[in-house]
Amino acid sequence: MNTTVTQDMSFLHLISSASLLVQLVMLILVMISLLSWWYIFRKLFVIRYEIKKTDEFEDIFWRGADMNALYQRTINSRYESGSLERIFAAGFSEFNKHPAGSDLEAVMESTRRAMRATYQREMDYLESHLSFLATVGSVSPYIGLLGTVWGIMNSFRSLASITQATIAHVAPGIAEALIATAMGLFAAIPAVVAYNRYASRTDQLATRFESFMEELSNVLQRRAAG
Amino acid sequence: MSASILRNSPHSEPKSALAGALAVFVHLFFVALLVFGLNWKDHPPEGMTVDIWTELPKPVQEPVKSQLLPKQSVPEPLKPKIEPQQPKPEPPKPVPQKTIVEPPVKKPDIAVKQKPEPVKESPPDLQEQKKKEQERAKEQERIKELEKQKELEKKKEFEKKQELEKQKELEKQKELEKQKELQKQKEKEQAAQRQREQEAKAQREAEAKRAAQQAAARNQITNEISKYKALILAKIRSRIVMPPDLPGNPVVEFNVTLLPGGDILDVRLSRSSGYAAFDSAVERAIFLSKPLPLPPDPALFNEFRNLNITVHYRE
Repeated sequence: MNTTVTQDMSFLHLISSASLLVQLVMLILVMISLLSWWYIFRKLFVIRYEIKKTDEFEDIFWRGADMNALYQRTINSRYESGSLERIFAAGFSEFNKHPAGSDLEAVMESTRRAMRATYQREMDYLESHLSFLATVGSVSPYIGLLGTVWGIMNSFRSLASITQATIAHVAPGIAEALIATAMGLFAAIPAVVAYNRYASRTDQLATRFESFMEELSNVLQRRAAG
Repeated sequence: MSASILRNSPHSEPKSALAGALAVFVHLFFVALLVFGLNWKDHPPEGMTVDIWTELPKPVQEPVKSQLLPKQSVPEPLKPKIEPQQPKPEPPKPVPQKTIVEPPVKKPDIAVKQKPEPVKESPPDLQEQKKKEQERAKEQERIKELEKQKELEKKKEFEKKQELEKQKELEKQKELEKQKELQKQKEKEQAAQRQREQEAKAQREAEAKRAAQQAAARNQITNEISKYKALILAKIRSRIVMPPDLPGNPVVEFNVTLLPGGDILDVRLSRSSGYAAFDSAVERAIFLSKPLPLPPDPALFNEFRNLNITVHYRE
């Protein structure tokens, strides 16, 4: 928002002539907006990356690749691995830890537990900051509204001392107060849209992970039995 | 081992710096939209600007005339400057002619008288002759020098005369220029006086016009007021249901307070006619004729705010 300083004096004037609380509200909203947009883009990249990685891994896995090789690859490139790869690696390593001939149900149970633990961790990672976006979407209009109400209150209070009141006395105050609402909405709308979109995407990913976990445990069980 | 590595492995979040840059870009874009998309008005829209003229716009034209006059007077002094240049070259011409003509006339006279003498005295002694010749030559030289000095003096005198003449001419020219300037100044003053007289006339005329207009406006206003008062009275009269057979010509007076738009705020009986039936009939009529006719000009409403309505029983 500092760019307004150089770009338009009247816009700057509207902001600078606002009362302290309104200015504070504007500052908070600008920070919130910047932060929420940062998270929006971060989550966008993360979820895109995750979907791409999941697609790749499922493709490789169901083509019949060697599980040991896949596991090794995941361990080696763990900084570039996707969530699904990590879930697979956790399950596979847990499965391999059990010596041959141990109780199959117990082995499968612990494998599933290990995968679920990683799954929970991955989902937590994927859903991180989404709650922030939801909060921004629901709260920032109210913050903006508070600034606006305060600004309008002030402009009307100053109107009381004028005997011949015209709209020109109130208009600038209301305009500068309404900027706060505009800012709040600007922060809120994309946050709400992004939250809904990312929530549905992570839900989709979660379903994919869960179904993969079930399928993998089936594959491992067959392998142990066979 | 490997599982713990997996558990602790940090999530490599892709392009988080790019996300920050994009967030800033989005805000810049939004601000640009705010700044350039909306027309933020720096100054409130200008209302009606009314110039109050104490004088009619004629005085505005007059300074233009007075500006034009000095412009005309500027090229005029240039002409006398050009004129004196022409007479100046003329006086030197006669002077050289005189100096050339005069000396040759005198020289031959002296030369003729002196030269024949040595021819007659040549028979006597050569030495004497030589001496005499030398003396004569010396004398001739002296004479020549004298003549030269005379010529120089004459030239000097001529030059002095010329200079005097030039000075006189210059003085004359200067005097002429001064006279011209004086004349111009006089003309300017006269023109200025004429302008002032014209301005005064224009002002007087404008004042007269204004006075006439104001009088006309006042007349119009009074006409308007009386016209609408008559209309109001007529409307009220038309609504009165007169009580029959009252003796004489009783008069009732009401004080009516009006609202803009012709509504009646208050009706007070200020002077009773003595007949309650007539008073109440008139009061009812006033309320019945409720939107009272008012002039369309809201400025005149003050004349109608408090109306005194007097109704005679018989007209």
